[in-house]
Amino acid sequence: MAQGVCVITEFREGKFRRVSFEIASEGRKLADALGEPLLAVALGEGVEAVASDLGGYGVEKVIVVDDALLKDYRAETYVPVVAEILQNLSPKVILTAASVDGKDLSARLAARLGAGLATDCTELQIEGGGLKAKRPMYAGKAFAWCEWSDGAWPQVASCRPNVMDCLAPDTSKKAEVEKVEVALPAGNLTQVVSIEKDAGGKLDLTEAEVIVSGGRGMKGPENFAMLEELAGILGGTVGASRSAVDSGWRPHADQVGQTGKVVTPNLYVACGISGAIQHLAGMSSSKYIVAVNKDPEAPIFSKADYGIVGDLFEFLPAFIEEVKTLKSTC
Amino acid sequence: MQPGHFPANILFILIFVAANGFFVFTAYKLYRILRLGKPEDRFDRRSERLKSVVTFVLGQRRVIREPAGWGHFFIFWGFVIISIGSLETFGVGIYHGFAYWKFLGKGLTSLLYLLQDLFCAAVVVALCVALYRRFVVKPERLRYEDQKAVNQDACIIIGLILLLIVLLFGARAAEYLLAQGEAGRYFPRLAFVSVAFSSLFTGLTKEGLQAWYSFCWWGHTVVILGFLIYIPFSKHLHLLGAIPNVFFRRLSSVGELSKMDLEDETAETYGVSRIEEFSWKQLLDLYACTECGRCSDNCPATLTGKPLSPKLTIHHLKEHLQAKGKMVLAQQGAEEAATANPEGELARALIGDICQHDELWSCTTCGNCIENCPVFIEHIDKYVDMRRYLVLMESNFSPEVQNVMRNWETNSNPWGLGFATRGDWAKGLPVKTLAEDSQVEYLYYVGCAGSFDERAKKISSALVTLLNEAGVSFGILGAEEKCCGETARRLGNEYLFQSMATELVEIINSYGVKKIITACPHGYNCLKNEYPQFGANWEVYHHSEFLATLLKGGQLQPQQGMDKNLVFHDSCYLGRYNDLYEEPRTVLNSILGLKFSEMDRSRNKAFCCGAGGGRMWMEETLGDQKINDARTGQALQLEPDIIGVSCPFCTTMFEDGLKTFDMDEKVKVYDIAEILAQAVTSAKE
Amino acid sequence: MNIVVLVKQVPDTETKIKIGADGKSIDTSEVKWIINPYDEYAVEAALRLQDSVGASVTILSMGPERTVESIRTALAMGADTGVLVDDQATEGSDALGKAKVLAAALKSLEFDLVFCGHRAVDDDENQVGIMVAELAGIPHLGLAISVEVADGKVTIQRPIEGAKVTMEATLPALVTFGGAHAVWNPRYASLPGIMKAKKKPLETKMLADLGLSAADVGNEAVKVSVTSMELPSERQAGRVLEGDTAEKARELTRLLREEAKVI
Repeated sequence: MAQGVCVITEFREGKFRRVSFEIASEGRKLADALGEPLLAVALGEGVEAVASDLGGYGVEKVIVVDDALLKDYRAETYVPVVAEILQNLSPKVILTAASVDGKDLSARLAARLGAGLATDCTELQIEGGGLKAKRPMYAGKAFAWCEWSDGAWPQVASCRPNVMDCLAPDTSKKAEVEKVEVALPAGNLTQVVSIEKDAGGKLDLTEAEVIVSGGRGMKGPENFAMLEELAGILGGTVGASRSAVDSGWRPHADQVGQTGKVVTPNLYVACGISGAIQHLAGMSSSKYIVAVNKDPEAPIFSKADYGIVGDLFEFLPAFIEEVKTLKSTC
Repeated sequence: MQPGHFPANILFILIFVAANGFFVFTAYKLYRILRLGKPEDRFDRRSERLKSVVTFVLGQRRVIREPAGWGHFFIFWGFVIISIGSLETFGVGIYHGFAYWKFLGKGLTSLLYLLQDLFCAAVVVALCVALYRRFVVKPERLRYEDQKAVNQDACIIIGLILLLIVLLFGARAAEYLLAQGEAGRYFPRLAFVSVAFSSLFTGLTKEGLQAWYSFCWWGHTVVILGFLIYIPFSKHLHLLGAIPNVFFRRLSSVGELSKMDLEDETAETYGVSRIEEFSWKQLLDLYACTECGRCSDNCPATLTGKPLSPKLTIHHLKEHLQAKGKMVLAQQGAEEAATANPEGELARALIGDICQHDELWSCTTCGNCIENCPVFIEHIDKYVDMRRYLVLMESNFSPEVQNVMRNWETNSNPWGLGFATRGDWAKGLPVKTLAEDSQVEYLYYVGCAGSFDERAKKISSALVTLLNEAGVSFGILGAEEKCCGETARRLGNEYLFQSMATELVEIINSYGVKKIITACPHGYNCLKNEYPQFGANWEVYHHSEFLATLLKGGQLQPQQGMDKNLVFHDSCYLGRYNDLYEEPRTVLNSILGLKFSEMDRSRNKAFCCGAGGGRMWMEETLGDQKINDARTGQALQLEPDIIGVSCPFCTTMFEDGLKTFDMDEKVKVYDIAEILAQAVTSAKE
Repeated sequence: MNIVVLVKQVPDTETKIKIGADGKSIDTSEVKWIINPYDEYAVEAALRLQDSVGASVTILSMGPERTVESIRTALAMGADTGVLVDDQATEGSDALGKAKVLAAALKSLEFDLVFCGHRAVDDDENQVGIMVAELAGIPHLGLAISVEVADGKVTIQRPIEGAKVTMEATLPALVTFGGAHAVWNPRYASLPGIMKAKKKPLETKMLADLGLSAADVGNEAVKVSVTSMELPSERQAGRVLEGDTAEKARELTRLLREEAKVI
């Protein structure tokens, strides 16, 4: 009989990723609702040393496999090991991170275990003794509540990073660590060949989650430094409107719009851009749009979730300070 | 060798037959090259066609639009008159006793001789002016990259004409003197130039005169026949090409592109990638070109430094046609010849070698080239045909063009905004969709800009206000409306266009619509001139003509004046494409106090805003200035408060242009509907 | 070299999402169907290999009859053949069910590489492709923005923050594609391509042809399913923040953190 909640952690370069703590915290909540234990599986090189820390987030017991072969995530080593552990543990609910590796792992585990998987969940609850998961669809234009069929254990869900609350760790608590020795398959079906830092470090517009864009309202190329700074803090990149590009302030590669790049970041900050349709066509699918413009009639405001009517040269420095403060506290 | 006497007459006949034979031979070769082209029906409406020839060939109507054209007028008519004289000259060559006065009588012959003298003199003057223009003034439009060859050709032609006229006068002067003392000979004194020339020969004996006469006569005759032989090899090929080209000119709207047969299962290629894939009429265009350069003189792409000059396109195509045409005719298996000689003309690609990609994509289809061509060459169709090849066969176009095509495919608008939101602009406005009420007289076809672009939506709502104010019964299609596909067609995507057109015709016809109003000149041109190809049978009105009618009928009465300076910009697709020049001006003139001025390039010479032919959706990175900036600059010279337009594309282009000049806060761009709506409604408030 | 590209037909990304009468799926009455953009990148990647190393490209899809249109689109782009699994019994399948169908269909095809998008833009699940790799017992490389094949290996690049990782896998392998339209610029079908696509082989298969029964997939085999859908709270576009500069800055930061959760 299936029992308990099990979280699969991610351990890289000597420490757990933050998302592991998030799913542990979420797992604790679910385990409490079920009245069942919270377990964790931790694989990695050197993970044994810190595995008990998971107790601070409510994990009762951690199954650990510590091996140099587990330094990086590779399906051929991770999947059979984790699947075997899980088959032995037989948990009701399995949580993973919806990271690049976590997505691969969760989908493979689900296929191997014949389980149902809900990916990229933003909210989880226990209802009728089982899991109920909320997840975005249609690029966030809708949310689905997923439920598992009767008796379809385990219920696997991957959790979107940075969404679920992370408990403040109770460092006094340590989890029980059970080290498992398994014969790791010496598979080398996939491997990382190299990692190449991007030249100039500029993230491509089409890949950026956050874009800070400037238009003619920036008044000159020198003022884009402000946008660079903001984009830097937000982990994003800088874009530009056609008129800013036409004026020679920014290269054409930065142009967002009908004849430039079509972008869909989570956050698009339009500074001094009036929002002609050729620009809107390139960015209106962004999840959240912020507009800063002195002209309250500018069409960009009709598309903006948050509009700031005013002088961007006053507003942006203040905003940058606020974001800096926020980033330093979390 | 006295002309007309044995054996000189035999010699003359031999030379005459040889020259004419050679001429016919070369002309026939040209004809055969022409026949390499694809079929096209240009034989309809013949009386109209003949009328064109009278107006534009005999009347030289388009030629004399420009001052330099008067020179041509005199050379042309001089040539005609001289040719009448030449017939007499040739008659004399066969039999020395031949003379017009014997048939026509002395009176009429006197008059004819006088005319000949006058026109010959005028030709000399015109030729001198032509030489002065070419070598001293050197206007831009006469510039070619092979200037030396072009100038040489011009010099040969001008030299030959001068020579033949001088020799003609010589012959006539001698003849005049000879006729004095001889019975049975007559030379009218009225031909005073010839008479004046005779003073050169005073004091000569009869034999001397006779010798001079023979010399000049032979000289004149040989030059004329030489000219005949030279014509097909020179730019004076237009003597052969222009007249049929005027006869076969497009009588339908300039705005109607040909419908491709996409159902043809046997077609192996679409569009034009080889010169012989043009229609024979398109090839005849090349023969007709006079290399006057008026097309390029008015081309917005040429004038802003783009790699496109219509005159060069035609020039290059003509050279390629002649070189390749001869080879194609001469040998079977042109393909092998191309492989055998990769440097040869057969191996040169029409797109890439003869015409450049950037050249084809630089065209805004504004129609200035066609409008200004004295011999009705159809440049735009050639660019579009070659674009058709690139798009349909090779999918070879810039990423931004691909983007816009995909947007049309999925959401039937160039921005790719959700098609279901197309009717949202009208929410809260007093206008119903045909689905709600189809018992209306007019369909207001809004178009993509008017439906989706915040700026153009204001024009749409202004027009709704005006139509309601005037009590017009109308409705819109709302979310059911589709893009008309005009731009897809001009970008060469005929396949996409045809599917869009078929769909839209079906939707509009399903409501039994008979009359349509639209505020977009591109949609207007397309629905009016091109949709009949797809079974549409509607009366289509642009809002400028519709509003002008409402004003004349008193249904709209602007009350509120406007104390502003306005400069009006003609939309290419209204003006040159559809001859609507007065209507928007009528609308503006109805507003009290509005002072409006005209740019130098206005009406049929209006400079394009830069958005036509799909250029709206492409980056403009080539050349030394953006076309919209150039046009905005022209408007700003008149220091307006308002730039008046009648097209949503023009609105965008001018607003962008004003930003370039940092004038967007001082000068505003308004559609005529917005201006009129303000004048009609603000008085009420 | 044989490449099978898994293609899903999805509503156009501009579709206005409305919840259907059943409350757990969207209203598809006004939907324009397109090839899932990431799958289209996969098709483009396959066609580039077709051009460079002469691969043969098969399009594999499952869905109702309208899916044929998407397969024909891919064939018009240049793919060689198409296979559609169109069986009523697959309706209601969860990701695992779909993966089973596709994996079973793959068995009947020869392949060295399987390509597909890393996710479909309708369900945003990120799992079918990987599950297919698991069921087929082959390695998977994810989120590729470039792909090359040589010496029995496939090499991809995947972007991570500030860097690009190059990874390789032994064939046969499954690659899921990421990137954006501007990265891949999928080719635009030429007219001859469209004409030829009408005559290219497109096979329709039923579950029985794949050796599956209705009990293996579809509603009967569902492990997880959507039981209700909701739309995000109607966002008030055009909302303008009030206050002095400092207040606006503070409020915007708060909203982006707490409401939008994007910083």
